[in-house]
Amino acid sequence: MSTLKIALTKGRTEKQVLPLLEASGIDCSAIRNKQRRLIFNDLPDYHFILAKGPDVLTYLNRGTMDIGIVGSDILAEQHNEQYEMLDLQTGKCHFVLASTPDFDPHQVKRKIIATKYPSITQRYFRSIGEDVEIIKIEGSVELAPLVGLADAIVDIVETGTTLRENNLQIFATLQSVSTRLVVNRLSLKQHQSAIQQLITNLQQAIKTEV
Amino acid sequence: MFNRNLPVGTRDEFGAVAQAKEKITGQIQTYFRRRGFQKLTTPLLEYKAVFSSMEQQTYQPYQLLDEHGETLVLRPDLTLPVARVMSTTGIKTPVKWYYSGEVFRVKKRLSGSYNQQTQAGIEIIGYRSLKAEWECLTAAIELCQQLAVSDLHVELGHARFVKAVLQALPLNTLQQATLQQALFSKNLSEYQAVIAPLVADPFYPFLQIWPWLFGDFAKVLDQLKLLPEVPELQSIFQELSATKAFLKQQFPQRTIELDLSIESPQDYYTGMIFHGYSDSTAEFLFSGGRYDQLLSSFQNTLQPAVGLAFEVDQLAQYTATTTTTPTTLIYFDTASWGVAQQVLQQTPNSSLCLAATKREAEQIARRTNSKLIDVTEVQP
Repeated sequence: MSTLKIALTKGRTEKQVLPLLEASGIDCSAIRNKQRRLIFNDLPDYHFILAKGPDVLTYLNRGTMDIGIVGSDILAEQHNEQYEMLDLQTGKCHFVLASTPDFDPHQVKRKIIATKYPSITQRYFRSIGEDVEIIKIEGSVELAPLVGLADAIVDIVETGTTLRENNLQIFATLQSVSTRLVVNRLSLKQHQSAIQQLITNLQQAIKTEV
Repeated sequence: MFNRNLPVGTRDEFGAVAQAKEKITGQIQTYFRRRGFQKLTTPLLEYKAVFSSMEQQTYQPYQLLDEHGETLVLRPDLTLPVARVMSTTGIKTPVKWYYSGEVFRVKKRLSGSYNQQTQAGIEIIGYRSLKAEWECLTAAIELCQQLAVSDLHVELGHARFVKAVLQALPLNTLQQATLQQALFSKNLSEYQAVIAPLVADPFYPFLQIWPWLFGDFAKVLDQLKLLPEVPELQSIFQELSATKAFLKQQFPQRTIELDLSIESPQDYYTGMIFHGYSDSTAEFLFSGGRYDQLLSSFQNTLQPAVGLAFEVDQLAQYTATTTTTPTTLIYFDTASWGVAQQVLQQTPNSSLCLAATKREAEQIARRTNSKLIDVTEVQP
């Protein structure tokens, strides 16, 4: 069997996906005890790297990795060219439009929206026939409406705790997000049987999990 | 400010890499000239409208305006300009063209991709018979052999297969489009949801395996037993099987594969599609197929056409050798120019050293790690 090279989004995605990979028969003990390692070539069938979400796609698009495990938020934001084959049903959350309670979504003005996800934000407002000014923020987006930088934010919400703690409320719910298995188009041909086996195992593991 | 920088997505090529590409392009062109193809060169700049049948999303072109405000592009494709030539010049068909050149497609910034690619290929225009596909495939395989691509996979497909199956399903146009989208993007989660209502349909067993309908030719054909009979598909299967038999006879060593779940490279494809790839490259080495309606976007008459294009950059990467053979420098003076010329011709990888003095020549040889031959002492 050929070796599959898998890029895994490090952090929360990694923690949520490891049980699924283990249930599919992949020994993930090296990743669990990783310390500062980023690259795992110990197993004969699967090599792993840990990377940030957007970088997972960069590695995948250049063909240096066969498979990427990454959130659909990043796939939607980055315009993915590869095969998004499987919804792993973990890391579930959704995009929301949120702001301070006094925000009026129907106010007649060109709204200013702060977000880490400009493409998704633009697509949403275009779909409701509105044009907005977008300010790209790299983190702690909740701050923007609180300090008067923006009228509202578009961000990912899992439980809503952060929003509530910052006295922000949800004005609209946009698309939902979950972790996906993405496969390089040519890798699928080059490693057909290995990838098919992995996907079958994962589908089985997801069914048991749900 | 930018006088020392390259624009994003471009690169300089020199030495071994540039020479490898030149050599490959040369080999491909010589091969087609010997097969009786004629050269066609089209300009880098074209009106944007020439490429209107391409999907803008996947092939974003570099754009500029001419002096009348018309939008020009650096060509993102080499086939559509051929169609433009054919529809405006009254060239008699059938005709076989070969071409090579640069195409420009703007990719994502700072992602490690290049926006300028070298392609070399052919267009066979005016032949309806399968023999045209076979000439393309023969050329593709023979050239890969010449270029020492030892692990070549040749993959066949057909532009009309997916549409014919979709139309045979009890689905409306919108549902067909959703299913096609899920199939082409290999989004299995979504695909399963779309086919779920068809569970009692005779097509269901086939639908379940459709996204995996690629790989070894015989294996894929075997899986097609699950497919209920669709009269429209008979001619497609005949073409594919005849081609497989032809290739097996001509090139018994080659791995022939079949993909019946893939999207056509462009909307204008109407018949057989073929690709070549190796185990190690990240892109296809060559792609091609039949597009009988290509010229209809330029004129009313339909002309059958089959084309093939090699990705020269991918071939160069595949065949790249990192070993640099040491060069030999030939030092000479005015009297020994003739001798130097003779030695130059006889010594591989040699070059005239144009230094004025022997001492300078020795310094250059040391600096460039070359061997130095002094022919001033040799008697003519």
